[in-house]
Amino acid sequence: MCGIVGYIGRRQAQPVLFNCLSKLEYRGYDSCGIALLGDSIQVCKDEVRVKALEKALPPIAGLAGIGHTRWATHGEPSRANAHPHCDCTGRIAVVHNGVISNFQRLKDKLISTGHVFASETDTEVLPHLIESYYQGDLEEAVERSLADIEGSYAIIAVVAGEAKLVVARKDSPLIIGIGDRENFVASDVPAILDYTSRVVYLEDGDIALVTADGVRVRENGARIDRAEHLIQWSVADAQKSGYEHFMLKEIHEQPRVIRDTLREYISADGLAAEVIPSGEGGLENMLIAACGTSYHAALIGKYIIEQLVRVPVKVELASEFNYCGQVPPGSNALVITQSGETADALKTMKKLKEAGCQVLAITNVVGSTASRIADHVIYTRAGPEISVAATKSFISQLVALYWMALPHARVDLRTLDELIMELRQLPARVQEVLDNEAAIREHARRLARFNDVFFIGRGANYPVALEGALKLKEVSYIHAEGYAAGELKHGPFALLGAEAPVVAILASDHTGEAMLTSIKEIRARKSPLIAVVEEGNEAAGEIADSAIIVPRVNQVFSPVINTVALQLLAYYAARERGCPIDFPRNLAKSVTVE
Amino acid sequence: MVKQAIILAAGEGRRLRPFTVNRPKAMISIAHKPILQYVIEALAQNGVLDIVLVVGYRKEQVFDHIGSGEQLGVNITYVTQAEQLGTAHALLQAREVAADEFLVMSGDKLIEADTVARFIETAPPAVLVKKVPDPVRYGVVSIDERGMVKSIVEKPKVAETNIANTGIYAFSREVFDFAAEVLDIPDALNNMISSGRNILAVETTGVRLDVVYPWDILSLNEAVIRRVPLGLGGVIESGVSLRGRVTVGQDTVIRANSTIVGPVVIGSGCDIGPNACILPATSIGDNVTVSAFTALQNSVIGNDVNIGPGCIIQDSVIGRGCVIKGHFTACTGQAEVKVNGEYHQVNLGAMLGEGCNLGNSVVAQPGAILGNNCQVQALKLVAGRLPDKSLVV
Repeated sequence: MCGIVGYIGRRQAQPVLFNCLSKLEYRGYDSCGIALLGDSIQVCKDEVRVKALEKALPPIAGLAGIGHTRWATHGEPSRANAHPHCDCTGRIAVVHNGVISNFQRLKDKLISTGHVFASETDTEVLPHLIESYYQGDLEEAVERSLADIEGSYAIIAVVAGEAKLVVARKDSPLIIGIGDRENFVASDVPAILDYTSRVVYLEDGDIALVTADGVRVRENGARIDRAEHLIQWSVADAQKSGYEHFMLKEIHEQPRVIRDTLREYISADGLAAEVIPSGEGGLENMLIAACGTSYHAALIGKYIIEQLVRVPVKVELASEFNYCGQVPPGSNALVITQSGETADALKTMKKLKEAGCQVLAITNVVGSTASRIADHVIYTRAGPEISVAATKSFISQLVALYWMALPHARVDLRTLDELIMELRQLPARVQEVLDNEAAIREHARRLARFNDVFFIGRGANYPVALEGALKLKEVSYIHAEGYAAGELKHGPFALLGAEAPVVAILASDHTGEAMLTSIKEIRARKSPLIAVVEEGNEAAGEIADSAIIVPRVNQVFSPVINTVALQLLAYYAARERGCPIDFPRNLAKSVTVE
Repeated sequence: MVKQAIILAAGEGRRLRPFTVNRPKAMISIAHKPILQYVIEALAQNGVLDIVLVVGYRKEQVFDHIGSGEQLGVNITYVTQAEQLGTAHALLQAREVAADEFLVMSGDKLIEADTVARFIETAPPAVLVKKVPDPVRYGVVSIDERGMVKSIVEKPKVAETNIANTGIYAFSREVFDFAAEVLDIPDALNNMISSGRNILAVETTGVRLDVVYPWDILSLNEAVIRRVPLGLGGVIESGVSLRGRVTVGQDTVIRANSTIVGPVVIGSGCDIGPNACILPATSIGDNVTVSAFTALQNSVIGNDVNIGPGCIIQDSVIGRGCVIKGHFTACTGQAEVKVNGEYHQVNLGAMLGEGCNLGNSVVAQPGAILGNNCQVQALKLVAGRLPDKSLVV
């Protein structure tokens, strides 16, 4: 998991590269580096964040260069292991995102022919391979090197004296930004939005030659024209607009994100019904697979479909399904991935397709790998999500799931009308949670002093408890666990006590009474208790030490409202503890390695 | 020429409640845009692209809507005024980021681009003034024979002149030394005068509209709505009659046999009709549903509102996220409304705060003001002022 950038054109490359890299830190930030291309190659790298390296360096002239911000996979974060990597002569430099699985064999072979390696990374075999093939044409040398390589890659290679970037991708994201007498290469779109909104997405197996004047893409040696896309996101989307952290900005964007996502679906009238035909082989026995926060969306999706459509649904972790998961042939499957580049999710998609499934994807990134593999795509309209902790993408995934399930709902038409009306009201209800931020902040302040927190819920709010715990642990580093309330007494009870608070999500549905019983049991163990309760149900909340009041909605939609409250709880707890909220330690935004 | 403007947008606007419970006064929406956005656009048209926004009360609303300013073509720097102590105190918060010369104005008063155009040529310090019929409501400015300000008296019992302070100033950094001593800018100006500074009074005839009371939203809306650029997005079904200046946002559906008489602005993602009637000077936000046989006239409807069938809504403001079931009646009429202990005679329909929920066949008496999140059961009559979260059973 890394971010790579390249620039060639009329400006000094150094500041451009650093600016682009700073937008990719969500992909990794344990070390970074740049190489500037001229008659020779100048490499500067260190085990620091992008800003720190930028500050430490004197200006170096050069109208082209490459850069990298790293999330370690092979070899610990260190200056030696940071990219770019060079060959023995120091005339070839490469940045790489991905994993070269046969690197050890290649490395042994190269060492035996006299190549000297400076790092422990898999990437370093690339510049040495290119060196061994280089006879004055970089593109040819890169192509021959890639033929030797197994694994995934997005790379940019440069050689001293040749004013060009050679880029290639397989199973790792890479885009080219088209400018005026200048061109850009990056792992992701936000990196280049300060300079251009014209983008070419490379496909797996593409090799492109990028110069200041043009881009030439080849697929299996044959020239091919890849369509240019105009990106509608603006740079503003990638900036903090007054907020201290992207996470809070993105939490606050959620009413708009729900509105935009719904608008897209409603204007494409009947989209969901077309994607999944009702009746035989519809939502019945559908497999939903995902990782991380998207997995929690998948779990809620199961409750949504089972409750509204009353057919069984199976949910799998994509990373586990890949080992020995089975599906009935011909059934429908759904994979949820925000980035559309999550390695495990992509592998699951391929496996499902091989098993003869119709694969549907919910993703936030148009043109992402997942969107190209899937038979049908439902796009969420969350816009770029920079904070490592996913918030708005999760909520937009839920909206997509509601929209997918509603046309199949086995309810009378009047109830369906009311459900759709309530769905359209969600932006206003979510805004009400946000307007209540100050009160939630007080709860977070109290929570921040503890080291262990339990989250419990029942029904559709059980996955909400999992998500609440995940948010809290990833941004505040407080140890947090989510449980189905009924499972608490099968073990975790042993850990309750005055130093282990419990956050209980108290829905006003058929799970309400059982939740009250759970809460009373917890009270008896002296655990401080924060209840998330609906307006009008305050009496139930009085059993708890304190209550976060959320607006009342139809119970089908309560996961949306409760999740937003827990996002704010996690954010303010992390802030209270002074954590680096947008870039938590050891985590990266989208995980493009298994 | 001045290139920077410091806009004060931290204020709450208590008399505008319930519409300012969750947003600062500058973020009150008029003809589908917050007032602050009009102010920024007037500055941008004159090449003032470096904008400093002083925010405080409910600042997230400003961040969410205005963002980095890129959409408006300006560059925005935010500074926070933690406590709303006064305009001079607000201005002082911008000391670190201020240029050598800059304009200062309020983010909650509409201003025309022409007014800005003439004022930015003036060398600071200067204050923009305007002749008004009722100066005692404002800061009254006395001017000497050279056109320099002699003094500003805030809301005097007896006005010496009919010249009012508009709250728009041109300053150099020197002002910060005076602002540090007092809480409000007029006091700082008086101190500048007494320490020998010459402050030019520049007179404007431009329209300058302010919202003070909830019903001012309606008059401001009517004044501005005619200038909204035309555009028809979405789907207009057959049999729809559109007359006058009508603007419809993207992905909005206007269903069959609806009649829309401009000036009307409808946001994006709305579902209007069938057989709905939208009459002049009505603004509708984004993601709003207006059901069959409902008539709206001279009203402002917020985002995410759902209005059921057969309603009549006149001279009313409906806050974001309200759900109104069928046959709601809010007809206009003469009303006496109490705000902050003062009584006002106004012609008004109803004012609904955010997130109100109205059952079938509710009738609002003229001048009814419902706070946020009020619940009204079917067949009820609402009148007077209801506090937030009232339950009418």
